[in-house]
Amino acid sequence: MSMSIKTVKDASDSKRGFLKLLFLSVMTVSFGGVIYPIIRYLSPLSQQQASEKIEILKDEVPDGKAKFFTYKGNPAVVIHTKTGFTALSAVCTHLGCIVKWLEDKNEFQCPCHAGRFDITGKVLSGPPPKPLPQIAVAESGAKIVIG
Amino acid sequence: MELIKDINKKVLDWLDERYDARQWIRENLTEKLVHKHINWLYCFGGLSFLGFLLQIGTGIFLMMYYIPTPKDALASVQNIANNIPFGWLFQRLHSIGANVVNLLVMFHMLRVLYHGAYKKPREFQWVSGVFLLLITMAMSFTGYLLPWTQLSYWGATIGTEMPGATPIVGEWLVQLIRGGVQITGITLTRFYAIHVVVLPLTLIGFLGIHFLMIRKVGISGPM
Repeated sequence: MSMSIKTVKDASDSKRGFLKLLFLSVMTVSFGGVIYPIIRYLSPLSQQQASEKIEILKDEVPDGKAKFFTYKGNPAVVIHTKTGFTALSAVCTHLGCIVKWLEDKNEFQCPCHAGRFDITGKVLSGPPPKPLPQIAVAESGAKIVIG
Repeated sequence: MELIKDINKKVLDWLDERYDARQWIRENLTEKLVHKHINWLYCFGGLSFLGFLLQIGTGIFLMMYYIPTPKDALASVQNIANNIPFGWLFQRLHSIGANVVNLLVMFHMLRVLYHGAYKKPREFQWVSGVFLLLITMAMSFTGYLLPWTQLSYWGATIGTEMPGATPIVGEWLVQLIRGGVQITGITLTRFYAIHVVVLPLTLIGFLGIHFLMIRKVGISGPM
């Protein structure tokens, strides 16, 4: 007698367990079906990069001047020095502000916390912990190829 | 599983000690008694509310990419519908959902009318419901202009022309709604502000009254 009761109980337990599992799976799938589109919708679009390389006319960057552009989605700068062209990331390594080029002092300054960088991106003074990363530059005819 | 149950119990105990949570759940959810005659027709009010919540959710998502200027409005809506991942889903849910909410509200109202549920002591239930209907329709009307298509532009022109038939103040009323003589970018930003802030807040206020009253008086009895 007690055996049969136990068997019945077990059966109903496994049925309940199965239904619980089924319910939880349906809930999970439904929840995911709502959350997934929302996360995709809110995620920034992958930047459309026609090519990794950027071409700039040499005439656009006269001696001593700097030109700012976007490289892989981030601000970058190319400067024309006596030794040629140098390209650097224009994002300050301290807290991400965009540095500006001071032509008369021949250095970069970050307007946020007065970090200073020299022409090669090395930190001169202020809070930045690291130099500005360099970006490869090549000259080809009347153009500068960056990247 | 055991762990979840344990945490569940502890949380409920904590809430119970302070707010009588279990009793509240019993009274309002698990052991709440409703009339035996309640059937599916009584769902339309709740469904309208669910639809409204969905409109709020999808609306917030659309606001994140929508640009309310004559120059960019249509392009930004097309961008949402064509480029943003799942943007088509939220855009269509919002525009089709608006129609569905209107239908549900109408069905809800017809049910109340058919059952005579507006009679004493629920007269204000009906009055607040009429305001809710008007706000819902105003929501649809203001939202219709936002994509700035030919259809929305002329739809808004016709709709805002109608108050012009009001004696004496008609002309002034039309210009007040449009923010000018014609539909312009000023109308667009005006409708946008009304659509996303003014009307939703007013609607929530009326919903609060609507719900509090039905909790107090209870759902109408059998016919």
